[in-house]
Amino acid sequence: MIFQPPILALLMVAALAALVALWSGAFAIRVLARWDMANMSRAQLRMERMAELVSTLFGAVMLAELAALLLFVFNSDRMASLFVGAMCAVGTLNVNAYGFPALYLKIGVFFAATLWLILDHADRLGRDFPLTKVKYAALLAIAPLILADGATELAYFLNLHTDVITSCCTKLFTPNNPGLANHMASIGEGTALVWLSVIALAVAGSGAYVMLRKRGYWIYALASGALFVAGLTAIVATISLYIYEDPNHHCPFCILKPEYGYFGYVLYVPLFFATAMGLGAGLLQPFANIPSLKGKLPGLIARQVVWSMIGFALFGLAVIWAIARSHLILFG
Amino acid sequence: MMTWARRQRALADYTLAALSRRKGKNIALVAIFSLVVFALSSAMFFAAALRHETTVVLRDAPEIVVQKLIMGRQDLIPGDVVETIAGFRGVTSAKGRLWGYYYDRINGANYTVMVPDDPALIPPVGYVAVGEGVPRARGLAWEGAPLFLSRYEGDLKRFDVDRTFSRDSALMTADLVLMNPQDFRAFFDIPEGLYTDVVATVRNQNEVATIVTKASNASPQMRFVTRADIERTYQKLFDWREGLLVVLAGAGLLAFAIFAAEKASGLSAEEAREIGILKAVGWDTRDVIAMKMWEGGLVSLGAFLIGTVAGFAHVFLFDGVLFAPVLRGWAVIYPDFALAPHIDGVQLMTLALLTVVPYMAATVVPVWRTASGDPDAVMR
Amino acid sequence: MITLNAVTKLYNEGRPNEFAALQEIDLTLARGAMSVLRGPSGSGKTTLLSILACMARPTSGRVSIDGELVSGLPERFLTELRRTTFGFVFQRFNLVRGLTALENVMLPTVPLGADYGQTRDKAMARLEALGLADKAAMPIEHLSGGEAQRTAIARALINDPPILIADEPTANLDTALAEKFLAILAEERAAGRTVILTSHDPRIWEAEGVDRIVTLRDGRIVEGELAEGVLGEDVA
Ligand SMILES: Nc1ncnc2c1ncn2[C@@H]1O[C@H](COP(=O)(O)OP(=O)(O)O)[C@@H](O)[C@H]1O
Ligand SMILES: [Mg+2]
Repeated sequence: MIFQPPILALLMVAALAALVALWSGAFAIRVLARWDMANMSRAQLRMERMAELVSTLFGAVMLAELAALLLFVFNSDRMASLFVGAMCAVGTLNVNAYGFPALYLKIGVFFAATLWLILDHADRLGRDFPLTKVKYAALLAIAPLILADGATELAYFLNLHTDVITSCCTKLFTPNNPGLANHMASIGEGTALVWLSVIALAVAGSGAYVMLRKRGYWIYALASGALFVAGLTAIVATISLYIYEDPNHHCPFCILKPEYGYFGYVLYVPLFFATAMGLGAGLLQPFANIPSLKGKLPGLIARQVVWSMIGFALFGLAVIWAIARSHLILFG
Repeated sequence: MMTWARRQRALADYTLAALSRRKGKNIALVAIFSLVVFALSSAMFFAAALRHETTVVLRDAPEIVVQKLIMGRQDLIPGDVVETIAGFRGVTSAKGRLWGYYYDRINGANYTVMVPDDPALIPPVGYVAVGEGVPRARGLAWEGAPLFLSRYEGDLKRFDVDRTFSRDSALMTADLVLMNPQDFRAFFDIPEGLYTDVVATVRNQNEVATIVTKASNASPQMRFVTRADIERTYQKLFDWREGLLVVLAGAGLLAFAIFAAEKASGLSAEEAREIGILKAVGWDTRDVIAMKMWEGGLVSLGAFLIGTVAGFAHVFLFDGVLFAPVLRGWAVIYPDFALAPHIDGVQLMTLALLTVVPYMAATVVPVWRTASGDPDAVMR
Repeated sequence: MITLNAVTKLYNEGRPNEFAALQEIDLTLARGAMSVLRGPSGSGKTTLLSILACMARPTSGRVSIDGELVSGLPERFLTELRRTTFGFVFQRFNLVRGLTALENVMLPTVPLGADYGQTRDKAMARLEALGLADKAAMPIEHLSGGEAQRTAIARALINDPPILIADEPTANLDTALAEKFLAILAEERAAGRTVILTSHDPRIWEAEGVDRIVTLRDGRIVEGELAEGVLGEDVA
């Protein structure tokens, strides 16, 4: 293991998140067994107050995980100089088999925690807390994800040996290597952009539909999820090429570097935000008809769709801007 | 959205007023917290600056160093290797180097003695150029005093000091003694045609690995060290020492977190009553938690800023006086130079996470316990 | 209209020191009236007040406000309801030391996310109406008992609640101040606010404008007019 402050910070966050997951998991089991809004006992009151603690803790975990996600990528990039063959985060993450799973789990935890907070927010709008059991059942599913994230991260850092020769983005994101990354890189610059535009149109269309009809939000959520995948694919296959002005450099991480003006954040932040909001809208739809939520939930869902569409629009503008200002000409 | 922002603002207002009402307690809290952050940030800035320094120094180093190994130990390398290396495609130049260490029996210091690559730096016969640490270690009183070096009992060789290196980037040059090749061979008794090692520069960075592979096939008894290897070694060394200091600071942080948790759970009667009143006049458990989070946020933000700025000043204005011995190693000759200010996002983010998160974690449960009191408690 | 049905409140439920502060209370209080809860110390007045004003949940029984059942609500919504429905003047005023009178008056508005400027103007207006304009910027410790109570009234009214509640409001006041306080209450009542008081102070029961007197004893409502001597030793 490499003994480094950012790694210590990341492990600390992971350990605290795991602690929260374990504790709130145990609490969730109690809620599922004993929650009863009609009961006015002290024990029920104590559970209600404890639920406030769980919400607070999850909010904190989500923020800390978001910061940890950024730091994880940042630090992988910086540590690249420690490994033979690594030039950016990809090389560092490839040092052992846990690197990329740790990253994916981190992203997963971020989305899961965000969606849970959305559910929590919706639950608290209803005077009888109608979603409490759903919410805590979901929490039981998220807790193992958080634990897996912490464990993978620990395994990754413990097995980070500097004498390993790793392969970096130039090797990983090239069309003639087996694996998911290369699939993304080999899709073809034009195809990826076409798919991106088609799915973006689907998002816009379904967004307009759900805003008018006030139903079918799950279609919008599906479209958002698809746009997330298409967006990431297009970044690897096409957009990164424009940013690097190099027809062979397909790396989704180097765009986060100062050399490229931190442009990656302009792409990723709206994309992640918009996706989370879009998925949240789909998640809440089944509950929109619960009597105690009828008055408030549809408004919340509609607002989420609006925010999501704004996020995707910003992402789209960033993509167009990246292509427009580039000196690289891929088509025509 | 608007309501949310206004509510946060009102909570922040209230929190600021509450903090200033309990000035004594909060100043003590921030002061101790800042001290911990200061230790942590000093360690991190110092290590990062050293790392940065080595990168800068190594930027001009040759891409490949070739050493001859005999029974695993480095041996003098014959000059014909230079031609062999220079013959590889992609190598722009190859040169034999002369350098070694000299143990100064007078003060127990170790100097690096070498013949510079750059012909312009080679001193005339009988002269040396020295790093600023050498006259300091020797206590040479005046500019131009000669340097006497003794190889064994009774031996004394005089060199005149041609020039002394300036202080910037002293890390690598503090203990340096530059000689003319003729003097070097005579002083260390090295025959013509042999070198300490051979350095090669390469046209294209990306070809280094290929060249090294080819060259090691051609001359298996040679060892090839690349610049990246050297850089890695330094990085690891500094990382390790930094980690050590951070763990020490972390112990301090843990102690502080326990202290903060104590403070947060042992509310004064006055404060407990105040929270009771807030709940009675219509604050929800959440509102109280949010207010307390503001309090924790402001305290840790304040401590973070104070500690970070103080650490920055300590390292870059006062040369890290408190930590230098640990991080630079225990060599007799300390480099004496101002570190170039260097700061980056990873450091700041790490610092923020390492300080704010433990504080929040330590206080959240006590805060929640305080906030979940019965609103009707103050009626009795 | 506030209705209580068979409300029981047990303290330390299930423990050896369990204590029934209220037992099977049935009570209806009308809107727009001034009602007084009276009874000796320890008879459960404060407990009853905190339950009907959504400060605490009963152990059993039902509480409804204007027909809506509130006794099953989570604490969070009780708080929300309380904020918009009730204003409190506590027996010991419960002002936050170290804050000014104005800041104290503004406390209940913090969680609402209301506009700061507007709230401050409203708080100033309340203080002015109660003759405290020149004390607004003064820390609460520097106010006299009467001024502190009027500040507490201003705070109770800042969110413009339809129901004003006061627990033993005259216990710490001399006769002149108590009369002044009653005058303020009468004014508020005349302006359409419901007023609910607890007191064992005869000055209050006999005050003009009191529409209803409910007598408590050992956690139960005593039927009919109060017999002399029920309060007996306590009045002094
Ligand atoms: N939190 C509590 N725990 C235990 N007993 C309490 C508590 N609060 C009040 N009591 C008891 O309940 C009874 C009624 O109290 P209270 O409602 O304050 O009466 P009053 O206001 O009429 O003086 C008293 O005997 C008191 O000791
Ligand atoms: Mg009482």
